[in-house]
Amino acid sequence: MRLAYIWITLLILSILIPAGFWYVDWSKSGDGAGLYSRDWLPEAVFGYWNPDDFYQSVDTVVGEFEGEECVACHRDMSPGIVKDWQASRHAQAEPKVYCSACHGSDHQNLHLPTPDICATCHATQHDQFMDEKRYGFPSHALAMERALDAKHFVDKPKAEVTACLQCHSVATKCDSCHSRHKFSAAEARRPEACITCHSGPPHPDDETYFNSAHGQLYLNEGQDWDWSKPLQKGNYPAPTCAYCHMSEGKHQVADKSIWKFGIKQINPLSSGNVVKRQQWIELCSDCHEAEWSAQQLSAMDRERKQAWSKLDEAEALLKGLRSDDLLSPSIHQRPPYPGDDAHTLLQRERIGFFEGQASAFYNVSPIERDYFDMWYFSNLGAYKGSAHGDVSFINKGHKAMDQQLEDIRRKVTNIRAAGKTEADKTDPENIWLKGEYTEYNREHN
Amino acid sequence: MLRPLFLLTCLLPFSYAESREAVQGDFSHEECITCHQSTEPTLVADWQQSVHASTKPVALCTSCHGRDHQGAAARSRRNDSCVDCHGGGTSPVVHSYATSKHGIIMQLEQKNYDWNQPLREANYRAPGCAYCHFHYGNHLTAKAKPLKPAETDMDRIAGSCLDCHGISYINRLNDNAVSMIEIARMKVREARQLVGEYANEHQAPADAELTGLMQQTKKHLRNVYLGAFHQSPDYQWWHGQPALDGDLLRIKGFISNRQQNTGDADK
Repeated sequence: MRLAYIWITLLILSILIPAGFWYVDWSKSGDGAGLYSRDWLPEAVFGYWNPDDFYQSVDTVVGEFEGEECVACHRDMSPGIVKDWQASRHAQAEPKVYCSACHGSDHQNLHLPTPDICATCHATQHDQFMDEKRYGFPSHALAMERALDAKHFVDKPKAEVTACLQCHSVATKCDSCHSRHKFSAAEARRPEACITCHSGPPHPDDETYFNSAHGQLYLNEGQDWDWSKPLQKGNYPAPTCAYCHMSEGKHQVADKSIWKFGIKQINPLSSGNVVKRQQWIELCSDCHEAEWSAQQLSAMDRERKQAWSKLDEAEALLKGLRSDDLLSPSIHQRPPYPGDDAHTLLQRERIGFFEGQASAFYNVSPIERDYFDMWYFSNLGAYKGSAHGDVSFINKGHKAMDQQLEDIRRKVTNIRAAGKTEADKTDPENIWLKGEYTEYNREHN
Repeated sequence: MLRPLFLLTCLLPFSYAESREAVQGDFSHEECITCHQSTEPTLVADWQQSVHASTKPVALCTSCHGRDHQGAAARSRRNDSCVDCHGGGTSPVVHSYATSKHGIIMQLEQKNYDWNQPLREANYRAPGCAYCHFHYGNHLTAKAKPLKPAETDMDRIAGSCLDCHGISYINRLNDNAVSMIEIARMKVREARQLVGEYANEHQAPADAELTGLMQQTKKHLRNVYLGAFHQSPDYQWWHGQPALDGDLLRIKGFISNRQQNTGDADK
């Protein structure tokens, strides 16, 4: 009898485990890409940012071409890329690295170079880059997966979320930083090389760095520094993005990451993070006293604690409203959370990082969006200010958080005072489910 | 009989280029027009039909080229000659370009460029404002309708893309941009319809909060447009689409709030 328990359990597991693997494989085998590939169709332009999954070569030119043959024709067709390549190290090398080395030679079956192709020659950098995956997100190497598997990316019309792939393609092509076809190391060492993606409300890396003492030095003198030098002690009077995050040219931005973009609360003094703090202090020691650097890290801990005390209060207020069914529109009165079936029984409003609110910035109640703005914009702005040494952004972020928290408190009081109205329960002309975009979004992903 | 004419034709490009360098001194806008009307009548005519000639204040020859004939062309090819009138460095139109890869490369390399080169055939590694909007020195920057580049502009700009990029890439980018902007417009139309219905139903006077939110939708729609055509992911996205989502749900929140309140009052 007892043996039967074991056999039956083993039998069930031997079916379920392969079934699980099969299911993941099946769900990744759709026309889209990633975990939800069966739920969406790509735009034609996606192939340029995620070549492995989507690129289709043009077939207008027939034949095999190599070396100077490509150059001869493209000198007229697209002179810019030829001039760029001529100025690159690829054209100076012996033997030259011609177009066909990276793109192939069959013109009807060309490919766009992915990191794997660059790795043919640049194996060290590629290994370092791939090593990022060990540390989880945020990282460059996992960026594309992260975008494709994001619920709002899956849910929204694909032309709307094209922008996501433009930056998250840092995982799938090397020219995000080494712009084509010059692929200059010197260019990638400059802070500007990062800011096409590292700018804007959730990650104002550009503003916070340029405002900092480091950034001011760079802005004033950087033009005259010798950017051909490696990112090592003594080579640069002030650090840049890459100097700290890719020190000594190591193509690995994730191994020292403590605060994970400031997006969630972490323990900065966990055993793993203590090791990372030491790595930071060592890095800062290229110019600063170790003691001073440690103090900077502690100041950041305090700033983060302060930020999270505000965010926690706001989150608790919202969860309170949810418990008392006072969020309006409630989950049943609005389009489902991205990727959720409208009829799923166990639906609830997503509040905070761990419930997936990062995808819940639309089709939610205004007060949830208020919290999203506070958490995703004001808080992350303050975090970047803190990390990059820009006091103005710390103050700006905290001032905004104070205001938003006050606003949320006031609204919660009002909502509680009004209680659940009749209109709220029935809401016959539900404006939350109707409308041109809302309906289009429901039909298109 | 034909010989002197032939000689003259041969000499023309030479003498013209020579004369351009030879002309020295400061000139007023009127003086520029008088002289260039005979040397480059098409250019002057193009400018006269362009938005630059009809805007207030008019963008004169000297606004972009300066008064000094020496280096006048090179001066106008730099982004600096456009930025001040187009809202300065922080305005969305300038900032969306500045954070694009084109803008970044320009920022890093412009001091090494030879600005005497004409705006064609990828003479510059990255395009500045003028490279696309004045490709081949064409001065007909047509009057763009709001959020829709005029056909003549688009043709020229697409032409400048092809100096570096393949035609299928450009076509796919353009198709994608058109759909992206249309989606943003849907959000604005959804908002506008709701606000219209609300105003009709309640005979309500224009509310400052609601008007403010509608203004925001216009600003954010424009950001999507600028982001799409200047290739700034940040403007397409963070300054654009999610910002519009926020506007839309706040407009809905405002209206549903009012509806509930008036519903209560009716009882």
